Amino acid sequence: MNVHPILATLRRHKTAAGLIALEIALSCAIVSNAVFLIGDRLDRIRQPSGLAEAELVHFQLVGITRVEDPEAQAAEDIAALRAVPGVRSVATVNQIPFGNSSWYSSLNLEPEQQNPTMQVTTYVGSEDLLETMGLSLVSGRDFVPEEYVEFQQAQSDPEVVIPAVIVSRAVADRLFPGENPLGRSVYVWGAAPQRIVGVVEHLAKPNDIGGPSSEHTSVLMPVSAPVQYGINYLVRVDAGRRDGVLEEGVAALEAVNPSRIVLEDRTRTFEAFRDDYFQDDRAMAWLLVGVCVALLVVTALGIVGLASFWVQQRTRQIGIRRALGATRGQIIGYFQTENFLIATIGIAAGMVLAYAINGALMGRYELPRLPWYYLPLGAVVLWTLGQLSVLGPALRAAAVPPAVATRSV
Amino acid sequence: MLHMQDVSKVYRTELVETHALRHFDIAVDEGEFVAVTGPSGSGKTTFLNIAGLLEDFTDGSYRLDGVEVRSLDDAARSRLRNEKVGFIFQGFNLIPDLNLFDNVDVPLRYRRMPAAERRRRIETALERVGLASRMKHYPSELSGGQQQRAAIARALAGEPRLLLADEPTGNLDSQMARDVMELLEALNAQGSTIVMVTHDLELAARAQRNIYIIDGQVSDLDLAEAAARPLVAAREA
Ligand SMILES: Nc1ncnc2c1ncn2[C@@H]1O[C@H](COP(=O)(O)OP(=O)(O)O)[C@@H](O)[C@H]1O
Ligand SMILES: [Mg+2]
Repeated sequence: MNVHPILATLRRHKTAAGLIALEIALSCAIVSNAVFLIGDRLDRIRQPSGLAEAELVHFQLVGITRVEDPEAQAAEDIAALRAVPGVRSVATVNQIPFGNSSWYSSLNLEPEQQNPTMQVTTYVGSEDLLETMGLSLVSGRDFVPEEYVEFQQAQSDPEVVIPAVIVSRAVADRLFPGENPLGRSVYVWGAAPQRIVGVVEHLAKPNDIGGPSSEHTSVLMPVSAPVQYGINYLVRVDAGRRDGVLEEGVAALEAVNPSRIVLEDRTRTFEAFRDDYFQDDRAMAWLLVGVCVALLVVTALGIVGLASFWVQQRTRQIGIRRALGATRGQIIGYFQTENFLIATIGIAAGMVLAYAINGALMGRYELPRLPWYYLPLGAVVLWTLGQLSVLGPALRAAAVPPAVATRSV
Repeated sequence: MLHMQDVSKVYRTELVETHALRHFDIAVDEGEFVAVTGPSGSGKTTFLNIAGLLEDFTDGSYRLDGVEVRSLDDAARSRLRNEKVGFIFQGFNLIPDLNLFDNVDVPLRYRRMPAAERRRRIETALERVGLASRMKHYPSELSGGQQQRAAIARALAGEPRLLLADEPTGNLDSQMARDVMELLEALNAQGSTIVMVTHDLELAARAQRNIYIIDGQVSDLDLAEAAARPLVAAREA
């Protein structure tokens, strides 16, 4: 490679070359971090809930008048919802993944533990909940009817025993890494332990409290959902019937008791909850995409601009080189090599800068270290960008006729 | 060495057609020193450019060192130019961003010569023109005469079969011009074939052979007759 004379020339044009290298360095650093952040957001947006999302709708009602027997009314509601065509199963529930409001409990391994082993979010609901959610059990079983406890009772009576719990795989792995969690005891509610009877693959939390390290730290308890003041129904339907069930379901619930308010923004498909929940993440991802595109375009334009300027400035020199025997390919090669060298300097600086930015982000947010493979990837992207940008000017340079050496003064 | 037969060159622009060369015949033998004179615009540079493969010609035949160049593509012409021809320009045409060593290196790199061989040739060439001590200097740090000598070193380093010079002394004062002429004579004495365009009849007279170009053709006039003619071609009027 004819690197030496090109470097010698660049050394005499440090400012222009340095500015382009700096532009490339900034692009490299910012784009690699931005792409990493986009990936992080996408992972979040795409995280599984564990539920049969495409088949779920949610109803939420609040009562305005006191009801004599809320349990009986809930049973009536469930029967009414079941009667809507397309409905496969119905369950009361206290909260849903990505639904925002959440019940949290500490989970302990010993009865009178000082510091809790971990925090978990607690899902409760009627007997068909696991089936309605469509959770997938990786081991163990669903609750049996005898295990269920009334919510009122569980809350008011400290002696009540909740015998079982189903945990997410994330909880099982945290508590008993490499061991079989089935049959092990944990303390979530009450003085008596709960025995783990099942493990589900995924069960996302209603919100992000606790940060990424506590993702999917959820448990399911055989306790009925509260029904006095407000009530939530999770309904599993044929995917194509979601909108119909929502409409007809509201009518059916109003028929049971018209003096209740159906909360419109909580009476939606599960997918609508998910969309809302990740709206900010999506906006941020798009913003970052925009930043990347803008930076790359500006960098490419900078390269095209400088290369065009140099080709024009060196027209005579190019003619001389042709007169001295350079082929067109060698002229193109000159500009490509020159760009490659500038890009390489920029990329090298950009990598250092990329880790510096990443380090700052890691300190401020709960963000992992930039994986090493972003660096070669970023380098290839910027090298390619540089080569493509310089190609037009280089072809113009190759078209300079050798007679320029003798004709122009 | 250089053999042109019935070569013509027409420049076409939107408005005019210029017949820069017409029925141009010339033969230059190995080891000759030929001076080319003629009025401005008569076609001297055109002849030299075609001889050095810098330009195509419209018609005729041109053999350089036995190779018919008419049918060669651009890459082959570039290679041939690089190997067989050394150019010396009126404006020196050194590359301002490179020092003398790297300037002389330019044509050698296009030939993909190994580094040690290049270094040897560059040093020899710069020594021959008396600039061995200025290798690290940039063109802007040298006088015109020194720059032209560096350009001659660059033309020599590739050991070309043919040296083409287009008014090599045109930008030099008379003392520097004489130095450069003496250098060319010395090179010719060592076996280089040289074709030099000049408007300096005194220098032309020192060459072995003189060719007078007028109106795109080699004229029959001899140097003395040529000297008596006006320096601007009649047809330009
Ligand atoms: N690129 C060109 N396009 C059009 N006409 C040209 C071009 N180059 C040279 N000419 C014309 O060709 C003629 C010969 O030019 P040139 O060989 O440069 O003459 P000289 O070197 O003897 O002064 C002139 O009339 C000149 O104007
Ligand atoms: Mg001329």
